[in-house]
Amino acid sequence: MSRPLPIHEIWVYLSGSPLLALILTLTAYQIGFYLYMRSNRNPLANPVAIAVVIVAVSLELLDMPYAKYFEGAQFVHFLLGTATVSLAVPIYRGFRELRGRMGPLLLALMSGGLVSIVSAVGIARSLGADHAIIGAMVSKSVTAPIAMGVAERLGYSPTLTAVFAVITGILGAVLARYVLDALGIKDWWQRGFAIGVAAHGIGTSRAFSIHPEAGTYASLAMGLHGILGAVAIPLVAGYIPLF
Amino acid sequence: MIPGLVQILLWQGAGELASHFLLPSIPGPVLGLVFLLVFLNLRGRVPENLALVSDTFSQHLGLLFVPAATGVILFLPQLREHAWAVVLALLGSVLLTVAVTALVLKGLSRKATHE
Repeated sequence: MSRPLPIHEIWVYLSGSPLLALILTLTAYQIGFYLYMRSNRNPLANPVAIAVVIVAVSLELLDMPYAKYFEGAQFVHFLLGTATVSLAVPIYRGFRELRGRMGPLLLALMSGGLVSIVSAVGIARSLGADHAIIGAMVSKSVTAPIAMGVAERLGYSPTLTAVFAVITGILGAVLARYVLDALGIKDWWQRGFAIGVAAHGIGTSRAFSIHPEAGTYASLAMGLHGILGAVAIPLVAGYIPLF
Repeated sequence: MIPGLVQILLWQGAGELASHFLLPSIPGPVLGLVFLLVFLNLRGRVPENLALVSDTFSQHLGLLFVPAATGVILFLPQLREHAWAVVLALLGSVLLTVAVTALVLKGLSRKATHE
């Protein structure tokens, strides 16, 4: 005869293992992804943003400290590095298709990348943001897994960097078309590349849903910006007066 | 799928080693990415099992930064205090980046077609 376990014993057991944090993370993302698909891939229904809100509210309700959650969720977090390496495949595919246009694309990428840093840091600093926020602005236009790695090496907060990167992606995915229309940019490859430089993965999936050529160029832009950012930001960061 | 994952983990390992011993300013996974890119270029095509793993990761890349991004709850008071600076910096930066990138591309490709 086994006696039923008291509920708090089950709870203590569950919250001590990584299982709870993993279930929470994956379920929240699953809900976010479902809503994103239901909304017809509307960038405003971003699955990461939805998942973060669900996890944050759950931690509050469960009275679980973030550090404890992360202890379990780090198994998901670890795969960021692995996913970064696998970005080589879409970059390689892009390279192969677009060899002829490489010169203009690289110049546009470097200008865009520099503008993204200087404008974000400049605006944040002139409006009196604190050090942690300004530091996290530096790599936020680079795809989040790489941006976080770069931020960590430079001593900026990877968390704020990830949050700013996601918000940047959403803003870019929603607003880029208005800027491009206003400037009279008509070619899909130019539109796609500009979205990819400014709004990395979230912009890229938006570009793919509008036009395949725009998507291909956006994904190439995102990949190249990732590599350029990882190599150049640590070199440039020393010369940009952050604070 | 497993052979592809093994390859990617090995390149990641190589990247981590290179980062630790040779290029500490660049994160290991980025060096792993560069190594894999060189390898793919030498090979001339993407092996099928590698493509499978990579496509799965790209499709759900977002899931992987949920744990870190949730850490935003620790920064809420700070973000609230500087809300305007954050919103305007992110907004201004993304609009300017799109505009400058697109204009440079347009200018350069027009020049190229005229020549």
